[in-house]
Amino acid sequence: MSEPDLLPEAPRNLIRAIATDLHFWIPLTVLVGGLFLLDKLR
Amino acid sequence: MNSSLPGAQAASAAASAVPPARLRSLQSVGIFCGFAAGAWLGGAEAPIKLVNPDISPITVSFVMVLGVFLARWSVPAFLRGTSHLRHDVRQAPHLVIWAVLAGCMWAVANTLTVYAIRNVGLSIAFPLWNTNSLLGILWGVLLFNELHYAGWRRWLGVLGGALCMFAGATLLAVASSHQAAPGKATLGIAAALGAGILWGTMYIPYRKAYLTGMNPLSFITFFTIGEVVTMSALAVSYRGAAPLWHELVSARTVLFWLMLGGFVWVIGDLFQQYATKYVGISRGIPLSNSNQLWGLLWGVLVFHELRGAGGNVYAQVAGGSLLMALGAVAIALSSAAEREHSSWRDAAEREGRRYGVEHEYVQAGMEGRAHGTVSHSRTALDWLLIVGTTALFVALAVIARLPRMEIGMGWAIFLAFAMLALLSACGISLWRTTRFR
Repeated sequence: MSEPDLLPEAPRNLIRAIATDLHFWIPLTVLVGGLFLLDKLR
Repeated sequence: MNSSLPGAQAASAAASAVPPARLRSLQSVGIFCGFAAGAWLGGAEAPIKLVNPDISPITVSFVMVLGVFLARWSVPAFLRGTSHLRHDVRQAPHLVIWAVLAGCMWAVANTLTVYAIRNVGLSIAFPLWNTNSLLGILWGVLLFNELHYAGWRRWLGVLGGALCMFAGATLLAVASSHQAAPGKATLGIAAALGAGILWGTMYIPYRKAYLTGMNPLSFITFFTIGEVVTMSALAVSYRGAAPLWHELVSARTVLFWLMLGGFVWVIGDLFQQYATKYVGISRGIPLSNSNQLWGLLWGVLVFHELRGAGGNVYAQVAGGSLLMALGAVAIALSSAAEREHSSWRDAAEREGRRYGVEHEYVQAGMEGRAHGTVSHSRTALDWLLIVGTTALFVALAVIARLPRMEIGMGWAIFLAFAMLALLSACGISLWRTTRFR
């Protein structure tokens, strides 16, 4: 059984809704970029 | 990208219009919150000025975030009780993830500003990260239908006002900076721009939450988890656990001022959250950025930062302040009309469909009215949060020491009084209009 199949229906739908929301990837990408920049500045 | 949560409760019905009188009240209270946010966010800089500059900036940021964490749990417990939190999470559980993400972004941005100031000085760094308001306008227009059908006058008011405030911020930063910009300029500029991009993009989760109907008091409690976890990880990885602890112990006489700065900042941020909720990010962020003006007032009047400066510096301060004030007034006079608000409702409906949020919950959130029957009484946990936070602040205040520095006490009392007057007036207005919803 794959990992997603173990999740109950509601959380799985929630994760799918977030993962397919373009709006989510914009701040996440910016956050990763910020962490990368911070690492360069250390 | 069209997936949505199933369920009969999903917001499928067309969102009904908010009555015009109600819309005007919400817009006015949102604008008022933006101005109050500027005063309290700017005032948060005052206690931090009392701290010895020998303490590492990362440690300063870390202790402030601890104060922020305590305030963000105890203030909502005091205002509404934590029962509302459970209700909001049941209605829109996805927003917990969005709030934690926003908190992580804030902590990284705040740490970047430390490097920016160190490498290029405040005069260059501050205007660069203040570009967050311009980015906020872009996200508001592109993602959340803000300024749609707004007409050229409102576009001019908001965009022109934001640019005006940006120009004013630049002048103020140049005037108030005494540091010469040292080397490593490219990295410093990258850090300042990075902070601006992070802070400007952080408003995507904010707007997402408030369009869907979440209460700002609930959002910030989860926001602060991302904030404190990220800041703790950064502080431990940069300083090391043992050196960090030793620094905290040796700085115990100033911990109160740092945590007080965090507490004051939370009050400002709360107003900023309500401004974002009721007037959107394109208007809420520029208004909150008037904090620079208040920070300057504290610096000049209370801490005598421009003493001995030439006429040129004072001219820059006067010009910058005037530009910021004019920009803020232009934005305040460009609040959303019915047609623009209807496109906000379209965006809210889209969010409700995607995440399966009950239509009535979304609608009630937009109108600032109650949804469901949630107990207003405080639980034992609420009292524990309130009493515990108060006791910790009292204990830190007992061991706190004021540094030997010249402080304009009369002006400090006057500015503190002005902030308290704004807090009372805006708090009462918010309570009367929305009951802190």
